[in-house]
Amino acid sequence: MKKILLALMMVSLTVGSIFAQAQQEYPSRDITDIVVWGAGGGTDSCNRIIMEEMGKVLDVNINVNNVTGGKAGMIGMTEAYNKPADGYTLCGLSESNTTAAVYGWDHTMDVWDFFIVGGSPDILSVTPDSPYQTLEDLVKASISNPNSIKAGAGGPGSIHHLNLLAFMEGSGAQLAFIPYDGSAGSQNAAMTGEITVVITSVAEQAEMIKAGKLRPLAMMTPDAYTLASTTIPSSFDMYPELSNFLPLGQQIGFAVRADVPEANKTILENAFSEAMQSDAVKAFGEQHYYNLSGKYGEEAKEIFKNLESKFSWTLSDLGSAEVDPATLGIARK
Amino acid sequence: MNILNQFSVFFTQIGSILTSPGQLLLLFGCTFMGIIFGALPGLTATLGVALLTTLTYGMSLNVAMVALMAIYVGAVYGGSFSAITLNIPGTAASAATAMEGYPMAKKGLAGKALGLTTTASAIGTVFSILFVVVFIPLISELALQFTSVEYFLLAFFGIQISGSISCPDTVQKGWLAGFFGLFLAMVGTDSLQVYPRFTLGYYPLEGGIEVVPVLIGAFGIPQIIQVLKEQQAPPKATKLDKIIPSWKSIGKRLGHIVRSALIGVGIGSVPGIGEDIAAWVSYGTAKGTSKHPEEYGTGCEEGIIATEVANNACIGGAMIPLLSMGIPGSPPAAMLLGALLLHGVSPGPMLQIDRPGFITEVAAILLLASFAMWFCGIFLAPRVVKILQVPPALFMPVVGILCIIGSYALGLKIFNLYLMIPMGVITYYLVKYGFPVPPLVIGVILGKMADANLRRGLMVSEGSLKPFFTRPVALILIIVIFVTFITNTSMYQNFKARRKAKKA
Repeated sequence: MKKILLALMMVSLTVGSIFAQAQQEYPSRDITDIVVWGAGGGTDSCNRIIMEEMGKVLDVNINVNNVTGGKAGMIGMTEAYNKPADGYTLCGLSESNTTAAVYGWDHTMDVWDFFIVGGSPDILSVTPDSPYQTLEDLVKASISNPNSIKAGAGGPGSIHHLNLLAFMEGSGAQLAFIPYDGSAGSQNAAMTGEITVVITSVAEQAEMIKAGKLRPLAMMTPDAYTLASTTIPSSFDMYPELSNFLPLGQQIGFAVRADVPEANKTILENAFSEAMQSDAVKAFGEQHYYNLSGKYGEEAKEIFKNLESKFSWTLSDLGSAEVDPATLGIARK
Repeated sequence: MNILNQFSVFFTQIGSILTSPGQLLLLFGCTFMGIIFGALPGLTATLGVALLTTLTYGMSLNVAMVALMAIYVGAVYGGSFSAITLNIPGTAASAATAMEGYPMAKKGLAGKALGLTTTASAIGTVFSILFVVVFIPLISELALQFTSVEYFLLAFFGIQISGSISCPDTVQKGWLAGFFGLFLAMVGTDSLQVYPRFTLGYYPLEGGIEVVPVLIGAFGIPQIIQVLKEQQAPPKATKLDKIIPSWKSIGKRLGHIVRSALIGVGIGSVPGIGEDIAAWVSYGTAKGTSKHPEEYGTGCEEGIIATEVANNACIGGAMIPLLSMGIPGSPPAAMLLGALLLHGVSPGPMLQIDRPGFITEVAAILLLASFAMWFCGIFLAPRVVKILQVPPALFMPVVGILCIIGSYALGLKIFNLYLMIPMGVITYYLVKYGFPVPPLVIGVILGKMADANLRRGLMVSEGSLKPFFTRPVALILIIVIFVTFITNTSMYQNFKARRKAKKA
């Protein structure tokens, strides 16, 4: 009898708590979005736009905080990860955060579920006074005279550097990579004529291309791109091999802990999809030369895991990874 | 856009800000905040602009620009307050100001020194605005002559010149201090091949030695120990009526001011280097061309004018590559670039076409910000000078705590304290044995730039040293470095002394 009573009590308690939870539907209070990169940067402005729109859909405030610092944005990610897995804490991040584990963060990207807003695709351009009119010209010249053509693509281990490495592997081009502090440094060096080839994102190059200070040759993505009424062909058209290595695009968005209750995740996903359709997000994408993505769930996770593998192993090959990606269970892709 | 149009945009902008009480309040409030940021060791202009950027998100572009430019101008100037009154420069940009400002304060002329730096900073900013409006295309062309080789030489020259001019006895000690700074800059993950150097396997060192803790430790700690040890009596009360410098004292140094402003604008317009180098180069040039160089280091008015005109003129200079090419000319300008992008402005060659008049509007805001800075400065100076009346035994512990908070606040890293305090103790002994501090700090600041650019330049030239001699700007820099070196050796000094003796 006692046992039955106890069991009954347990059942009623469980049911009651479920009922109570269902009554207080997520989200019932403000959500915090911790952006791991600085104010005014790509990840920050992108998060502010999408959070504004998602806040409207969910009918709550979403506060955006920048918590920067640490390698690969570790400080912000740690702060977001240490909050309860209830969906009230989001983490604004980008593809560059996937290096965190090999830089000593306690977790791999498995602990997150991602929502990708988009990113600006990478583009290969040359200086206007160089003789290369097409991508083939450039690749041929670089093969006949290896490492004589200098290329800038941000710092070592950056997304643009990965694009350059993948491009050289897929096309056979032999360019000499000159590392700079960030994309601006590379583009500046192209302006001074120190380097000939630049691989950075369309967003970063757009102004210079429009002013005729850079000549765009090809996109590092499978599709052509139209910028100021000029169509820039895809490098895949000329070197189909590239599809084995590319695209490796910028992926800006946010994440929640993977162990957030499924019901809350679904609510977030629906709000995210709706926000992606808003005019504000579309206008933002156009203005910042983004390819809008809107991916979430398994699809988004796959993209980030692929990037994590690419970034981690490239850094490991460069000798700068602090933790061997193999010991973290990150497979080489 | 023709000149007339430019003028009308310029004055419309000024009018619209002056007639809007909200914007006016913002202008003064942000300038004031900037000065505080600049004056407190550890809080820099870059940080000020960065923090404010987040807050401007909801403002319109124009209002946001008012806030951001005001805090930028205020912070670059504010560093001179603590440099003069405490001998602890609030920012690296005002390290050179401390060289002359603090001796002046010791003589009881702190009020006068603050008045001069305030006016000099305002003049420097106004000058630089003229250049922004008139010379944008020209200067951005020149800045394009700077490749890795030139950056290396410029950084090297910056360390060399700060070593040459800041040493009390022999110049070699200055250079040695500079090389020590250069060595410290090598610690950490190298930016070209991402290889950890001199980290001894100790993880926090991988991020490298940060400038701010070194700056605070190297300037702050020795000063605190020194003052407490000597039990210095507070300096004589300054005459407060002499804060605003007379027209005459400004007028007769006009040539000097114009030269310093030109140096500031020029250096500001070269991407990547900022207010700190501008101040040092200007100070060095002033000393080198002065008729009485022996007065430098003892509280020379010309010295603080040179540094303050140049570091504020750098602001306008830094706006030139930012607005014309989208390349920030100084670290705070890099934050400004982020803020502009946040507000949907993409600076670059197309800016003049996309948003005609934007550059002129920025110039108008800069002009107002420099006036606001002047008023705030003149208002604050007599109050700040009173700090000197507080007995050091009471005041220095407070400064000590500020030093600790300032170092920790940067990235909230406890490691910064482990760096700052030993750095302070080391520099205390260095100072005791006659080594100057500024070249050490400049070495840390410019060391990374010198190292990365030298190796990058050699990567591009595939190991050849030819570009050092074939590129015109590089050649000029090499000659300047060589001449600076020769004229500072004892051989040359003896030779000069002998010739003088012969003549007499």
